[in-house]
Amino acid sequence: MTGWLVAASVLLAAGFGPTVWGVATGPLERRVVAQNFGTSVVCLVMLLLAQAYARPSYVDLALVLAVLGPAGTLVYARLLAEDLTDDPPHARVLTAVAASAAVVVVAAMCLATGAGRATVKLLLIGGLLVAGNVIASRALAGGFPKGAAASRD
Amino acid sequence: MGRTVAATGEILAWWVLLTGGWLVLIGTVDPLECFVGAGSALLAAVAARAARRAMGER
Repeated sequence: MTGWLVAASVLLAAGFGPTVWGVATGPLERRVVAQNFGTSVVCLVMLLLAQAYARPSYVDLALVLAVLGPAGTLVYARLLAEDLTDDPPHARVLTAVAASAAVVVVAAMCLATGAGRATVKLLLIGGLLVAGNVIASRALAGGFPKGAAASRD
Repeated sequence: MGRTVAATGEILAWWVLLTGGWLVLIGTVDPLECFVGAGSALLAAVAARAARRAMGER
């Protein structure tokens, strides 16, 4: 049992467990934030498992999730815009936690991988994760005014 | 004339970016992969410019 496997297990239990609870129960604002956080957690777990089992192909799953997770949240933000206008969810702490965790995991993996194309790929995934989290969180909080979207229609 | 240069420059910039992304993300780098990647990146670069213009003109 390596440290990577322990880290992945801890992240899965401590991060994804509460996320499932948050998605399944409570008000809409909390659910939508929890599902966004869930994609980030699973993405990081995939990265850690790729390192733990020495299977680089798992990194591709993390890459796909880093792209599709925030995109899915943006779809929710758009579809639920009317329901979220009264009390938009502000998840600054959770976004900061997800972004920091992404930076820590990606930095550790870069150190373990060493210089090369794999490192560039990891940095790309890390950048996508952090940017995706910030953008999705801002969209959920109503950061992109409706006027901008309406004028384009 | 200036418009053609601008269009070529933009497509070239997209192409460099997308080909770089391809080369980073593939598993093994061999000539066939490079050829396919460069070709796909060119198509995607033209599409990217079209999408950027479609957004900008609204």
